[in-house]
Amino acid sequence: MTTSDTSSSEHRRHDEARHRFAATLDEIRGGMVRMGSLVVENTRRAGEVMIENRLDVAPLVRAADDEINEAYARLEQLSFETLARQQPVAKDLRFLVATTRILYELERSGDLAVNCAGIVEKLDGLPDSPKLMGLLARILDEACALFARAIDALADLDASSGERLDREDDVVDDLVSRLYQQVGIESEAIGLETAVGLSRLGRFLERIADHAVNIGENIAFIVTAEFPGDTHVVLRG
Amino acid sequence: MGQGSVEDGSRPVLRTVVERERRRTGQEEAVFDVSHLEVFYGDFQALRDASFQVQARQITAFIGPSGCGKSTVLRCFNRMNDLIETARVEGEVRYHGVDLYGPDVDPVEVRRRVGMVFQKPNPFPKSIYENVAFGPRIAGFKGNMDALVEESLERAALLNEVKDILDQSAIALSGGQQQRLCIARAIATNPDVLLMDEPASALDPIATLRIEELMQELKKEYTIIIVTHNMQQAARVSDRTAFFNVDVRENGMRTGQLVEFDETGKLFTNPSEPATEGYITGRFG
Repeated sequence: MTTSDTSSSEHRRHDEARHRFAATLDEIRGGMVRMGSLVVENTRRAGEVMIENRLDVAPLVRAADDEINEAYARLEQLSFETLARQQPVAKDLRFLVATTRILYELERSGDLAVNCAGIVEKLDGLPDSPKLMGLLARILDEACALFARAIDALADLDASSGERLDREDDVVDDLVSRLYQQVGIESEAIGLETAVGLSRLGRFLERIADHAVNIGENIAFIVTAEFPGDTHVVLRG
Repeated sequence: MGQGSVEDGSRPVLRTVVERERRRTGQEEAVFDVSHLEVFYGDFQALRDASFQVQARQITAFIGPSGCGKSTVLRCFNRMNDLIETARVEGEVRYHGVDLYGPDVDPVEVRRRVGMVFQKPNPFPKSIYENVAFGPRIAGFKGNMDALVEESLERAALLNEVKDILDQSAIALSGGQQQRLCIARAIATNPDVLLMDEPASALDPIATLRIEELMQELKKEYTIIIVTHNMQQAARVSDRTAFFNVDVRENGMRTGQLVEFDETGKLFTNPSEPATEGYITGRFG
């Protein structure tokens, strides 16, 4: 890592001994941050399809996901090559191992945004229920905000993000529970297919938020060599 | 070691007892117990206040920059520093509980029990057979020398390559073969510990990997301590790693010190000391 412990000039000087390696790690991290921003952007785009009934935007969501997948393939390849060629250890090793996991979280989140748009397309739009659409809009907002904070934490390698994002995710989980209840209440009016579709939308947005939490935990792992909480300690500390 | 032992077979029995005891208690057995070790060459202090233990039948790696004291410590284990006139050793090195620098301890006997393999393969300009037989003969070995030579070469993973040319000069062997011959020569006197000072740094990558594989076999019987500049080698072969560093004082005096000593997996994934992290990740001047 080149940012978190480079406060002293001595460290910067030492970094230069492997500056190309350090630059590659920076490139990978920068690439993941950009990829994460694309995921947030595309989830919001999928939100337009859902909340504003913009079925015409759905193909754009799919097209934008191609860019995410390309970034995934490129960064994964770069990580593998760096592992093979640089034999990283300690924090550098933890970063590259966490990178493969974070890339997976990012790529899956991108797919979920595409799935959301696809559900709305298949239902040919969502019902005009203020309560249901209000809940869905709030879930979307919270999930996107959580994901954006995870990406900020990745940019800063902020170790505290793991537990913080996990707490903030409770808001999303609560809203999704309320969505399920409301879908139950209105299921007769909206019909079974729409009820199932709305439930899946809630579920997918909840999953996107979960991926954000996982990203935060991986950031904590990079910095501290431990996963937040006591059940998932990977390295002996 | 069967009939090939320099001693009369009592040690293998003892070793079995110790092994059984170790398994029973689940405790590791310290071959070397080092406390507050300091080494001086004249006025120059090469090592400051090192304390640690070396466990039996493990590979312990010493890493660190030039001048960090790692080879100095290695030489304490077989009293090679005795051969340097100005050298002075303070603190304590216990070998199986016995003070290695005690008045009754014979350095020659220490060097028989604690063998050494050097950076540059250094076979005697004699036949392959004589290289291995030399040490036991000096030590007064009376058993079946052919069997001992064969067993030692077998243990050093060299027998298959040389069994038909035992009377040929050792100098004609390749570098990797010469180094394995030196290992065979070291184990022929039935030592307990093998010290290896950069044993593969003069070898090509394949010969290096063969030595590393051999070390994994040897550690079933021997305690191995290796000094290496190759951190990946330390990470590949060792069970525990000690990181030594150079401490530069205001007056310009450079003294080696032990910074961190831990299980190798821990040290290379999550070192405790920032200086270790700096060194192993290559962000270190």
